[in-house]
Amino acid sequence: MTDTTTFPEVGTRVRGARVLLSDVVLDAHGPADPTGHARAESLTAHLDRVGPRPTGTPALVEVLDRAGLSGHGGAHVPAASKWRRVLAGDGHLTVVANGAESEPVAAKDGTLLRQRPHLVIDGLLLTAEALGARRAVIWLHGDDRGARKALRAALAERPWSPSAPAVEIVDGPVHYLAGEASAITQAVAGGPALPTVRRRPEPGAPRTLVHNVETLARLALLARGYPPSGTRLLTVLGDGRAVVEVDAATTFTELLVDLGWAEAPQAVLLGGYGGLWAPWTRLAGLPVDEGVLRGEGLSLGAGVVAPLGAWACGVKQTAGLVAYLASMSARQCGPCVFGLPALAESTLALADGRRGAGVDRLLDDAAAVEGRGACHHPDGATRLIASATSTFADDIAAHAAGRPCRGTAEVWPGVSR
Amino acid sequence: MSRVVAGSRLRVDPVACEGVGLCAQVADRVVELDRWGYPVLAADLVDGADVRAARRAVRACPRRALWVEEPDASS
Repeated sequence: MTDTTTFPEVGTRVRGARVLLSDVVLDAHGPADPTGHARAESLTAHLDRVGPRPTGTPALVEVLDRAGLSGHGGAHVPAASKWRRVLAGDGHLTVVANGAESEPVAAKDGTLLRQRPHLVIDGLLLTAEALGARRAVIWLHGDDRGARKALRAALAERPWSPSAPAVEIVDGPVHYLAGEASAITQAVAGGPALPTVRRRPEPGAPRTLVHNVETLARLALLARGYPPSGTRLLTVLGDGRAVVEVDAATTFTELLVDLGWAEAPQAVLLGGYGGLWAPWTRLAGLPVDEGVLRGEGLSLGAGVVAPLGAWACGVKQTAGLVAYLASMSARQCGPCVFGLPALAESTLALADGRRGAGVDRLLDDAAAVEGRGACHHPDGATRLIASATSTFADDIAAHAAGRPCRGTAEVWPGVSR
Repeated sequence: MSRVVAGSRLRVDPVACEGVGLCAQVADRVVELDRWGYPVLAADLVDGADVRAARRAVRACPRRALWVEEPDASS
């Protein structure tokens, strides 16, 4: 545990114009159903606000390139390079709007689908038209009834169009890996929703393009000639969760002060449970800007910001997160099936200050797992552990020396103490 | 003689792999087993002996989980 520090005075709040959604407060876990009322934008309101949807053409790839649009699902892959890979192939194409936000804290995609369903549908149809897709699918987390309801109502409002494929809404499983792209690809082709390894594709093999729903909403604005927006959608954990759209120049201090944090946290988990810890001293003055954070070896991932209170124990918190990730393996790949429980056990041993537990053993276990799954699920756990060992280095040294602290873990969604 | 294409790699599909371990028995110069019995593969196949070993491993796998990947000619 570190000493409690107070926030410095914050001057003018840095707030850009909101282009995607209005801020909402949600329960601490579960689907993105707001505690207050937030109505989905109707088709008429949508068209009044942003104008009619242009037709999608392959030339749109240049617009995406110039705008530097990258994936907002977490991996930040440039959208234009995904398009070019698709354009190079020739099999039947399915485009997927990925709204299955499976990180237990994340709720910005669910919020976007509830507030601006038409913007996401526009992005999906533009992509389908531009790339000549046969199918257009919106993929949801299995328990996200609110998003499904908003989307069905939105689709019912739309006139039939001969140029664009009909939009299918598909419910994925209720699982941490429900939003994993290779699992979605396999599922929309009729297989199980489980991650797969892509061997070299055969010529003429069916193609699938998966874009995050926020990426598609931004694409729908860019295609209409809007300038690239400098905002970020974030889900911030606190008293419940807040989904906010802030200017990317907003610092983490400004963000938390604005959301009513009276006391500085000791560290922040960025991106999600498979994300990275960063000490508050390092993060406080940094902006919520992916480019700047990447330069610091950090990433906003799926836009999750989970501050850890000064009184909590980061080692215990990490042990709970790794146990959660181990429980959420797809149980397909040996290194993940056996490796993640071993990692969870050695993190817990460290938190409990058991004999023989230490950072070396933990990092050894992590190295044995890194990069060896069909998907990046095990890598999320190993990166989380590596960031914990540097962020909580002093605590870890104390725990390893048999002096576990009296701090407890905070109660976070899905994580048992 | 086995042709060696620079940058060739032995790859494993970890979903198909069940940790049978025959690969490490027939090709120990390019496959090691981790503590749970799953293969850890050499970074690159550097000479003809590596390539022959990799092909033995591919043939030996009862789960057809291994393949030799040559770098994409187009990239």
